[in-house]
Amino acid sequence: MNPRVRALIRKEIWHILRDWQTLLIVLAMPVFMMFLYGYALDVNINDVKVMVEDPSPSPETRDLIRAIDQSSLFEVTGVVKSVANPGDVFKKFHVKALFRFSPDFSAALRRPGSPASIQVLIDGSDQNLGTILRNAAEPFLQKSALTILHVPVPATITLHQTILYNPQQKSAMYFVPGLMVIILMMISAMMTSLTITREKESGTLEQMLVSPIRAHEIMLGKIIPYIALAAIDGALILLVGFFVFGVTISGSLLLLTVASLIYIFTALALGLLISTIARKQEHAMMIVLPATVMPTVLLSGFIFPLTSIPIVLQWIAHAIPATYFLIVIRGIILKGVGLAELWKPMLALTGIGLFLMIVSIRKFRVKQ
Amino acid sequence: MRFIRLIVWKEFTQIRSDPLIIRLIVLPVLIQMFFLGYAITTEVKNTTITVVDRSNSPESVSLVQTVLHNRLFRFVGYASSESDARERIDRGDARLAIIIPADFAKGLSALSGADVSLIIDGQDANSSNISSGYITSIVTGWSLSFLKEKLAARGLRVRNVLPVEVHPVILYNPMLKSTWYMVPALAVVLVTMITALLTGFSIVKEKESGTLEQLMVTPISPVHVVLGKIVPYIVIGLFELSAVLVAATLWFGVPFHGNFLVLLLFGLIYMSSSLGIGILVSTVARNAQQVLFMLWFLLIFFLFLSGFFLALENMPVWVQNLTLINPLRYFMFILREMFLKGSGFAELWKQGLAMLLIGGIVFGASLLTFQRKVG
Repeated sequence: MNPRVRALIRKEIWHILRDWQTLLIVLAMPVFMMFLYGYALDVNINDVKVMVEDPSPSPETRDLIRAIDQSSLFEVTGVVKSVANPGDVFKKFHVKALFRFSPDFSAALRRPGSPASIQVLIDGSDQNLGTILRNAAEPFLQKSALTILHVPVPATITLHQTILYNPQQKSAMYFVPGLMVIILMMISAMMTSLTITREKESGTLEQMLVSPIRAHEIMLGKIIPYIALAAIDGALILLVGFFVFGVTISGSLLLLTVASLIYIFTALALGLLISTIARKQEHAMMIVLPATVMPTVLLSGFIFPLTSIPIVLQWIAHAIPATYFLIVIRGIILKGVGLAELWKPMLALTGIGLFLMIVSIRKFRVKQ
Repeated sequence: MRFIRLIVWKEFTQIRSDPLIIRLIVLPVLIQMFFLGYAITTEVKNTTITVVDRSNSPESVSLVQTVLHNRLFRFVGYASSESDARERIDRGDARLAIIIPADFAKGLSALSGADVSLIIDGQDANSSNISSGYITSIVTGWSLSFLKEKLAARGLRVRNVLPVEVHPVILYNPMLKSTWYMVPALAVVLVTMITALLTGFSIVKEKESGTLEQLMVTPISPVHVVLGKIVPYIVIGLFELSAVLVAATLWFGVPFHGNFLVLLLFGLIYMSSSLGIGILVSTVARNAQQVLFMLWFLLIFFLFLSGFFLALENMPVWVQNLTLINPLRYFMFILREMFLKGSGFAELWKQGLAMLLIGGIVFGASLLTFQRKVG
C-alpha cells in the first residue's frame, strides 16, 4: 500500500477515535439491539384479553367461561350480565373479543336438537390477531361445549409439525442474521456519506484534491477504516449471538466472512455515491435514511416477508443488496448450505457492489 | 415574545432559502409513506407450498384443495416423496410442505382420526409461526365441515349434534386489512423522524458553524432561541400529520372515524416529546453525525417498544413496564383507536395525559440542558 493511502487511513482513524461518542454508539447499538430483540421478541400469541356477556349465569356457562379462561389463547378479563353497546366495551376496556351467550344458553345446551348460540365479536383492527381469533373461535367453542357435556370429542385430523433449521423457533436464530444486515449497512453507508460531506462542507476535501493525492487514493483512505469498523461490529454481533444467545453457525465461517466483506464493500459504495450527490451533511442524512437504512430494514425480508408485499416493491427488493445478503447469511448460519446453493445471490451481491462502486468513482471524478 | 418571533422568522427564512431541504422534507416523506404503507404488512401471503399426497382419495384431494384455494399460499407443484419435499425446502423453492399419509381416508372414518404432517421452513420465526397457524386453522375448519357432512350423510341434522352455534363478527376492520392497522401508526414514525431530526439538526448546525454563540451574546435568551426554533418544525409536523391522514383515507382507504381537531391536539402534545428529544440530543451531540446516530438509535428503541409491529401484549412484563415511558406507544395507540374505532377524548384522555407528562418532562429537561450547556 502506498504511503499516501496509509497516511489518509491514519488520519481517518484519528477522526473516528476522536469522536468517541459516535464510536460508542456504533459499538453499543448492535449489542443493545440484540438484547432488545432477544427478550422483547416473542412471536407466540397467547392470553388475548376477552370479555364475556352472560345474561343468565348457570353451571354450564360458568364451566364454559372457565374453559375459555384456561385456554392458552384467551384470558377472560371480565364477565358482565348485559352489554348495551358493544363498541364501548372495545373502546374502554381494550379487549380483543367479546363472547355473547344467548339468554337461553344453558337450556339450549342441555336440550338435544337445538344448539346454543354464541356470538363472538372480534376487534379486527390488528389483522393478524383478528384472523387468528376468527379461525380459532368456532373449533375451540365446539370442543369445549362437548367436553362440558361429557360427550367424547370426535377425533379428526392430528397435525404433526416439523420445523426445519430452527426447530425451537429461537428468536435469536432469526434476528442475528437480520441484525448483521442492518448494522453493517448503517455503519458503512451512513458513516462514509457523512464523513465525506463533512469534509466537503469544511473545505478540507478540496484541499486534499489540490495536493498530490489522487482521487481514488482519497476514496481508499476513506473506505478502509470503515471496512475495519464494520467488520468489528459484525464480529461483535456474531460473538454476542454465540455466547449469550447460543447461535451457532452451521455453515462455513470463511464463506460468511467473504460474503460480509462483499456486502460491506457494496454498502460503502452506496455511501460514497450519496456523498457525491449531497453537498451538506443534512442532505446526506435525509438521503441516506430513505435510500439505505429504510429499505434494508423493510424490504430485505428481515421483518416483513417479501412474498407479502406488492409486486413492484418486490422488484425494488430484488435491486437492493440487503435482500441477497440476507439470503446468503441465513443460508450459512441457519441452513448450513454452501456456495453450491448460494452462488446466485452471492453473484448478485457482487454485481451490485461493483456497479455502485464504478458509478460513484465516476461521479466523484466528474465532481472535482 | 418579539425575540421568539424574530427567531421564528429567521428559521423560516433559512428553511426557505434551502430548496433542497424543502424537497427533502416533502419527497422522502411521501415516498416513505407509500413504501411503508405497502411494505409494512403483518400479513403472510403467497407462501410457497408443496404437497405430498400419498392417499390420493376424495378426502385428501378435498383437504388439499381447501388449503390451496387460500390466497395465503402459492402452490409450487406436488412433491413425489417426503425427501423430495425436503429438498425443495432446502433449495428455497417451497417454504411449507403438507404430507398426507396413505391411510388418511381410512383414519378419518375410524375413531382414531387421521394424521397429517407439516414441514415448515423455520428461518423466519415470525412468518413460519403465522403460516403454521393459518394451516392449523384451515385444517381444523376443514375437519369440522367434514364432520358436518358426514353427519348429514348419515341422516343426522348437524344442528342436533353440535352443541353450539358460533357467529363470529369482525368489527372495525371487517376485511382484515393490514394497511388499516399499519398506515395510521406510520404517521407517528414519520412525524417523529421529521420533527426530531430537523430540530436536532438545525441546532447542531448552528453549534458547528459558531452562529449559536453569536446568538448567545445578543439579548436573546437560550429559551427564546429554542422556542423560536421549534415553531417552524411544529408547523411542519402538523402539516405532515394532516398529509398522512389525507393519504391514509384517500389512497389507502382507511376509514377515519375520529375528530380531526382532536387528532391535531394529540399530535401537538406528542410533539413536545419528539421535539424535546431532538433538542436534548443536539445539545449533547457535537456534530451532525452524532445527532443522526443518537436519534436513529433512540428511534429504533422506541419503535420496537411501541407496538408498531410487535404486539406489546406478547412481551415479558418488565419490557411492558418499560414501554410505559415511551411516548410513541401512546400516540400510536391513540391514532389507531381514533382511526378505526372513532375513539375521542372520553376514551383516550389517559394516554393523552401520559404523553403530556412525558412531553413536559422531556421538553423541560431539554430546555434546562440547553440553557446550562449553551447559555
